[in-house]
Amino acid sequence: MDRASLRLTGLSKRFGETQALSDVSLEVRPGEVFGYLGPNGAGKTTTIRLVMGMLRPTAGRAEVGGLDCWRDPVATHRLVGYVPGDAATYPRLTGRQHVDYFANLRHAGAGRRAAVAEQQARAGTLAERLDLDLHRRAGTLSRGNRQKLALVLALMTPRPMLVLDEPSTGLDPLVQQEFHALLREHTAQGGTVLLSSHVLGEVQRVADRIGVLRQGRLMAVEELKVLAAHSLHRVRATFLDDVRPADFEQVPGVRDVRVDGRVLTCNAPQHALDALLKRVAQHGVDDFECAEADLEETFLAFYAGDFEGSSRAA
Amino acid sequence: MLRDVLGKTLFDQRRSLLGWSLALVLLVAMYVAIWPSVRDQPSMSDFLDQMPEAFRSLFAATGADMSTGAGYLQVELLSFMGPIIVLIYAVGSGSSAVAGEEERRTMDTLLANPVSRTRVVLHKAAAMALGTALLGAVLAAALVLEGRLADMGLPTGNVVAAMLHLTLLGVVFGSLALAVSAATGSVALSRAVPVVVAVVAYLVNGLAPMVDWLRPLQKGSPFFQYAGHDPLHHGLDAASLAVAVATTVVLVAAAVWGFRRRDVHG
Repeated sequence: MDRASLRLTGLSKRFGETQALSDVSLEVRPGEVFGYLGPNGAGKTTTIRLVMGMLRPTAGRAEVGGLDCWRDPVATHRLVGYVPGDAATYPRLTGRQHVDYFANLRHAGAGRRAAVAEQQARAGTLAERLDLDLHRRAGTLSRGNRQKLALVLALMTPRPMLVLDEPSTGLDPLVQQEFHALLREHTAQGGTVLLSSHVLGEVQRVADRIGVLRQGRLMAVEELKVLAAHSLHRVRATFLDDVRPADFEQVPGVRDVRVDGRVLTCNAPQHALDALLKRVAQHGVDDFECAEADLEETFLAFYAGDFEGSSRAA
Repeated sequence: MLRDVLGKTLFDQRRSLLGWSLALVLLVAMYVAIWPSVRDQPSMSDFLDQMPEAFRSLFAATGADMSTGAGYLQVELLSFMGPIIVLIYAVGSGSSAVAGEEERRTMDTLLANPVSRTRVVLHKAAAMALGTALLGAVLAAALVLEGRLADMGLPTGNVVAAMLHLTLLGVVFGSLALAVSAATGSVALSRAVPVVVAVVAYLVNGLAPMVDWLRPLQKGSPFFQYAGHDPLHHGLDAASLAVAVATTVVLVAAAVWGFRRRDVHG
């Protein structure tokens, strides 16, 4: 089995009475960025912590590079760089001290000194690219800067696989771009990425495939292109004259049409935007807004079975 | 320092260990400064003799004698204040070892490195033991050096022996805290359990001479291992050392076992 592959087989986790994850099976292939999507509480972090061997599966198994994540955590951790969900750091240690500590933990025995120096150099480069000051104590850093430190710590050691739990929380757009560039460099070398998010927009830019999780169940695994076409856009148009709902209801795919005098609001998947815009343009327009809806809403529409041609995994 | 979990844990504690050490030096200085006036007050010994037996047994250990430097320290420092201070440090260090990193959510980050849970627990146990030993050493040095200034006539060998026993007392309860910490991930529980056990063990050891049904239990009390043989007068006791070390080994093994089988809180 390829060192950079991840396989979940019937993975389930129960916390007391709560079934956090039910029978999730999934394979992430080498060189792929897999976006793991779902609203908060859907089980994304639970899945990731099972992969990291922090949790013991109730049933099923998670394997990285063919190694069992619970039974063989030390060996799997040699294959994985990890950014946890809340990017906890040691408040009294500086960034540089974090780098030293983790570099040492990752290389015991012979060749340690050289390996540590190499990681320190790489951490320095990464910190520069992400615009992070490694001399400051983690406790004095903002949320976004702590997140950058967590990224530096995960990326400074070359690993075939990256497991990232909501990695760009708190990062500003420029830094996000740099982070996405780092991910592309990683996959270009055959590396694999598992990345969780509740924001479709972010995943859209980097993922090759996505899995949609809800209430602990993997609802669908899609090529990104397919889901992007389903992503709902919230449209709000103010016209110069009164309009009627019937003018817009017939556009295929458009939903939730509401008209209040001269103001139209509706939701439309991406593939319906062209037709909708043409219909809107038949009237005099005073103002027009179009924003991607919350992923939550796209999900709800998705689960309600409104979309044709989507392959359901569960 | 930041080469492994042990070094990092001690590095984290460097300021607090310095603070504890200073406090101990000052505490010993205070007792030493009071000593001349106690020595010149024979009525102190009479007072001790007149105390109810239960009281004397609990707070002053048997054969208390305030007329010698060693006896005075036995009553004032070693039977109550010394153990309390060492226990507070050791239990605090043991309880924050695993559960503390979990409550601050850094355990995920730490364990994501190729470091086994066993190694983390063992290194944390070693840090707790070394920190406790440092406090024991500081106490021993303070007693010997400061005692010399006040002519307390303390035998150096016995002071070192007593502090070694005191260190082991701390390590036993620190290991208990570590075991609860590793098995449950709860800082609160891993502080509460050792405190309750320590109070019970203290009472059992203190009251056993007067209460028949407690007598068989006395030898199981870590406080009996610590001071039952009066180390300030009789030095090391091999059997007590062996029991304390064995207890520690069992508790640390329980900590490893407890942490390996459960979910990490995150």
